Amino acid sequence: MPPPMQYLESAREGALIDAAPLLQLTGIGKSYGGVVALRDVDFDARRGSIHAVLGENGAGKSTLMKILAGVVRPTDGAISLDGEAYSPTSPADAARSGIVCIFQELSVIPDLSVAANICLADPPRTRLGLIDRKRQAQMARDVLWEMGVGQDIDVSRLCRQLPLSKRQIVEIAKAVIRRPKVLILDEATSALTASDVKPVTDLLRRLRDEGTLILFISHRMHEIEALADVCSIFRNGTHVETYPTGSRSSDEIVQLMLGRSLTQVYPPKYQVHATTEPNLSVKGLRWNGKLKGIDLQVMPGEIVGLGGLDGQGQQEILQAIAGILRGVGGTICMHGTPLRARGPGDGISGDRRFALVPEDRKYGGLFLPLSIRANLTAPVMDTFARFGIISRKAEAGTVARMIEQLQIRAENLDHPVETLSGGNQQKVVIAKWLATKPSLLLLIDPTRGIDIGTKQEIYRLLRRLAEEGLAIMIYTTDYDELVGLCDRALIIYDGCVRAELAGDDLSEHNILKNALNLGEAPHSREAQQ
Amino acid sequence: MTAVFARLPFDVPTRSIVMAAALLLLVGGWQYPQFFSPPYLAQQLQSGAFLGIVAAGAMVVILLGHIDLSVPWTMTAAATVATAVVGLTPEVLVSEKGVLAGLAVGAAVGAVNGFGVAYLRIPSMIWTLATNNVLMGILVYFSGFYALSSRPSPLMSMLGSGRMFSIPNVVFVWVAVSLILLFILRSTTLGRRIYMVGTHEPAAYLSGVNSRGVLVAGFVIAGICSAMAGMLLAGYAGQSYQRMGDTYLLPGIAAVVLGGTSLFGGRGNYSGTVAGVMLLTLMASILSIMQAPEAAKQIVYGVVVITMVGFYSLRERYS
Repeated sequence: MPPPMQYLESAREGALIDAAPLLQLTGIGKSYGGVVALRDVDFDARRGSIHAVLGENGAGKSTLMKILAGVVRPTDGAISLDGEAYSPTSPADAARSGIVCIFQELSVIPDLSVAANICLADPPRTRLGLIDRKRQAQMARDVLWEMGVGQDIDVSRLCRQLPLSKRQIVEIAKAVIRRPKVLILDEATSALTASDVKPVTDLLRRLRDEGTLILFISHRMHEIEALADVCSIFRNGTHVETYPTGSRSSDEIVQLMLGRSLTQVYPPKYQVHATTEPNLSVKGLRWNGKLKGIDLQVMPGEIVGLGGLDGQGQQEILQAIAGILRGVGGTICMHGTPLRARGPGDGISGDRRFALVPEDRKYGGLFLPLSIRANLTAPVMDTFARFGIISRKAEAGTVARMIEQLQIRAENLDHPVETLSGGNQQKVVIAKWLATKPSLLLLIDPTRGIDIGTKQEIYRLLRRLAEEGLAIMIYTTDYDELVGLCDRALIIYDGCVRAELAGDDLSEHNILKNALNLGEAPHSREAQQ
Repeated sequence: MTAVFARLPFDVPTRSIVMAAALLLLVGGWQYPQFFSPPYLAQQLQSGAFLGIVAAGAMVVILLGHIDLSVPWTMTAAATVATAVVGLTPEVLVSEKGVLAGLAVGAAVGAVNGFGVAYLRIPSMIWTLATNNVLMGILVYFSGFYALSSRPSPLMSMLGSGRMFSIPNVVFVWVAVSLILLFILRSTTLGRRIYMVGTHEPAAYLSGVNSRGVLVAGFVIAGICSAMAGMLLAGYAGQSYQRMGDTYLLPGIAAVVLGGTSLFGGRGNYSGTVAGVMLLTLMASILSIMQAPEAAKQIVYGVVVITMVGFYSLRERYS
C-alpha cells in the first residue's frame, strides 16, 4: 500500500488540503456467515477530493460503502471521521454525522412529487408542524438549479412520470440537499444519459471544491478518468492500491482489478453477408405517440444496436416486437411473415422463436427467492415435461449445458438466485432465454451495473451467437458498447430512427451528434457547453 | 433431535412448528392424561383433517400472493348443492352425482374468483369477499323458497364420519389431497409457475408464463379444496347447514402462515402447512379440554396470525 503522502500531490488546485484524512478506516473486515466480503481494509480519503473506488463486482466496494453509510456494520476494525470515532447504527445516523450515500437501486418514491422526494428526509414545516409545500418546492427548485438541471425538471411532477435518468438526478439531489461532508455515489451515475452526466459531474466538482469528500463507484472508466482525483482499487475484499488518477494506464488498471490481464474488450466484428434474407424486418412501427414510424431490419448474424438519449422509444421498439405493448401499428415480420406476438411466451416455441432479455434483472428477469435451477429453466420447462410433470433428469442435463455455455459460477443450483453476484445473475437471465434457441435475440441494457470481466464474457458470447446465425438487437445506454460491440447502430430520437451508423461512421462523436438531433433538440444546449 | 430432523425434507419453520406441536402434546398429556389415548388422538386428527384440506387450498392461493376469503360459503354452497342433488336422486350410486356437483360448484367458484383477480385485476381480498357474500345471498334466498334436502350421500358419510382401522377416513382424504398437492407444487410445471407468479407476476409474464391461467388454476384448486372440505363436513355432521364453513376461514389462513408461507407470495413449503394445521388443532383441543369458550379460540387464531406474520416479517428484515 502506498504512503498517503504519495497521492496528496494529486489534490487539484482549489481543493482544500488537510494534513489529516477526513475519513480513515483501519483493519475493516466484514463477513456474512462464512463468506468474507472485506478483509483487513486500511483506507484513507481526504476532504475536497473525488475518490473513485474500482473493482470487479464482488470485490467488496459496495460492502465498504454500505458500512460507511450505516447500512451494515463491520465485523472488525475502526473508522474515524474528522478525527472522531465513527460507527453509525443506521443510514439516518450516518447522515447526521455527515455521510450520505446514493445507491444504484433507486429509492425515489414514484407517487410523490419531485419536491417531496428531494426533501423527504427533512421536509420544511409550517408553524403547525405540517409540511410547508411552498418552501419545499422552493428548496427543491434551488437545489436542482444549483445542480444545473433546474430547467429540465418540474418539481411538482410525480417521480413516476420522469424517465430513469431524471429520477437518478432526483436521487442525487436528495443527497445534495443534506450538505454532506462525505457523499457516496455507488453506481449512482449508471443510468444517466449523456446529456445528464455533464451537470452531475460539474456539480460533483463544485462540491469537491467546497470541501466535500466524494467517494465514487462506477464501471464507466472514462467517467472515472475525467472526474476522479484519486483512485483506489479493490479485489476480492482487499484494498489493492491507491494512486492519483492518470498515473496508471487503462491496461494496468484492468490488470490490478482482475489480477490478470485482458486481451481486448470487444471481440472482432464479423462480416455479414448482405445477400441473406432479413431475420427481422419492421415497417412503420407506431405506438401511442412514442413510436412514430420506425423502419428497421436485422440480418441473421448481425448485432444491431439501438442508441440515443434515454427514453426516445428504444425500449418500446423491443417491447413492441416482443408483443408486450398493446395497440401497436405497422408491420413486424420475422423470416418474411408477419409476427403477431402477444407476449414473450409466443417466442418460446414454434419456428419463429425470439427472446427478450428485459431491462431490470432484479424485477423483470429473475425470480430472486427461487432456485437458480428454476430460474434457468423457467421458459423451457415444458420441453422436458410430459403431461405437466417435470423430468428432473432431463432438466439437470439442460441446466448443466447452460452453466457450461455461460460459465455461470454457482455453488449450489438449489440456492436462491439472489445469492449470486450481479454478473452471474445477468448470465442466468441470458442463459434462460438462450435455452429457448431463439433466432432473434432482443436485449435491453444487458451489461448495466456488472463488472468488466463479465461484460467481456457477454460481449464474446453475443458475438459467438451472431456468428452462429442469430439476429441480435440490443438497446444500450453505453455509447462505448454501441461502437465496440455492434455491427450497425440505429440512433433513435423522439420515436424515429434519426441515423443509421455502420463501419467507420459508427463513432461516439456521430452517435452523440445524432442522439442530440444535430443541436436542434432542446436537450442539446447543456450537453454542448 | 435436530440431527434427526435435519435429514428429513423439512425446512426450518416446519421443524420448529413440529417441535412446538410435540411440546404442546407433551404438556397437554401431562396435564390431561386422556390426551394420549388413541381415540382422542384419532379425534384430533379428524378435526385437523377438515382444516388441513381447507389450508391446502388456501396455501396455493397465498403462494400466488393472493388470498381466498370465499372459503366459508364455497364450503357451504358445495355441501348444499351436493346434498340437494342427492335429495333429487336418492338411489344408491346415482346419488353420488351430488359429490360431482359439489366439486363442480367449488371449481366454478374458484374460476370466478380467478377470473376477477387475473382478468379484471380486482384485488383478491375484495373480489373473493364479494363472491363469498354473493354465494351467501344466493343460498339464503333459495333456502327460503325451496325445501332442499340436506342429507349427505353414502360416500360423503363414509368419508366424512367413517373409520378404517380406527383411523377416521377423512384423514386418508387429507393425506391423499396432501400428496397430490405436494406433487403438483414440487414436480409439475404448474407448481413451478405458481411459485413464479407468486414471486413476481410481471417477471413471470416476461418469462413466457401465462400468468392469468396460473392464477385461475390456483383459485380453482382452492375452490375444489373448499368444496371437498364442505362435503366431508356435511358427511361428518350428517347434514349440510348454513354457516358450516364460517369457522374454517381464519384457521385455514393461520395454518398456512404459521407454516412459514409468506403472505406476499412465492415462498413457502407444503410441509409447513401440514405442521401448522397440527399445531392449530392441538391448540384448539387444549382450549376445548380447558373448557375455554369458542370466543377464546377465535382470539387465539387471530393472535397466532398476528404473531407469526410479525415474526416472519421481522426475520426477513434482519436475516
